[in-house]
Amino acid sequence: MNNKFKIAIVGNKDSILGFKALGLDTYNANDATEATAVLYEIKKKEVVDDERLGEARPAYAVIFIIEDLAMKISEEDYKNLSEDALPAIVPVPSPKGTSGYGLKRIGKMVERAVGSDIFGDK
Amino acid sequence: MAKLNVKPTRMELLNLKRRLKSANRGHKLLKDKQDGLMQKFMEIIREAKTMRREVESKLGGAFKNFMFASSMMHPAMLETALLYPSATTELEVETKNVMSVHIPYFKIKQEGDILNYGYLQTSAELDTALKSFQDVFLLLIKLAEIEKQAERLAVELETTRRRVNALEYKMIPDIKETLKFISMKLAEQERSTIVGVMAIKAMIEAQEEA
Repeated sequence: MNNKFKIAIVGNKDSILGFKALGLDTYNANDATEATAVLYEIKKKEVVDDERLGEARPAYAVIFIIEDLAMKISEEDYKNLSEDALPAIVPVPSPKGTSGYGLKRIGKMVERAVGSDIFGDK
Repeated sequence: MAKLNVKPTRMELLNLKRRLKSANRGHKLLKDKQDGLMQKFMEIIREAKTMRREVESKLGGAFKNFMFASSMMHPAMLETALLYPSATTELEVETKNVMSVHIPYFKIKQEGDILNYGYLQTSAELDTALKSFQDVFLLLIKLAEIEKQAERLAVELETTRRRVNALEYKMIPDIKETLKFISMKLAEQERSTIVGVMAIKAMIEAQEEA
């Protein structure tokens, strides 16, 4: 089976330009509503490996998203977007520097799994 | 705890006993699953945390390099230089089954040169910037893998925890209470029949003597 997936990055133009050179697909989004729309669109994209079988799989395995935008996406949209095995949606810090959102996200996962954030920084 | 809404019959008693048995077995299995998941989750989440810190600091450096590069060049030039990348990046995904959760593993396939532009109109800083992006990128993919694994496990852990708790604190006590209620009721009925029979027997004996 062909097992190739693409990688996408969503963010404003200045932040994502550098990633473009690496061969990632870049999607421009300037605010959270735009980003949400773009994410849904990316998620919908599928590849059909074998026409006869008609099996489709997501085209993208990983979608990076600039933190500033990721923070403002509503919980419900985020849940819909990330419920499947693929793609993985990963927030990355913007050129302005990290806001701690990524670590907070990990804390949330712990909270969800264990019941309380046991690694949380006091 | 609420007693279940069933009739106090021997039939129900047997049914409930069977249900209690399977509930106990289910609870034990789910508890084992939860423990297994938790072990894996802790392993992954620790790694994710250190990884996240590392990536964030390194990516900051890469962005700084890129800022330098873009300030040295005309924006339009920069954009043209990066407009048609010759490098392609693809991922191969494999999934592994941990306690019936499929977690992804990524393998990266990169082809082509990232420095794909004329050297005349671009600055040397751009080369450094892109190289540092390239370095961080491998870490980023690793981070994506680990975070997705953690996320999948977290979701599964949550549902398993809920199931375990529902069985432990609701279903099993409820069944136990109902069982007790039914057996009490049946015993009471039995006693009442015996007393009834004894009373009738005494009455008959009294009549015969008279």
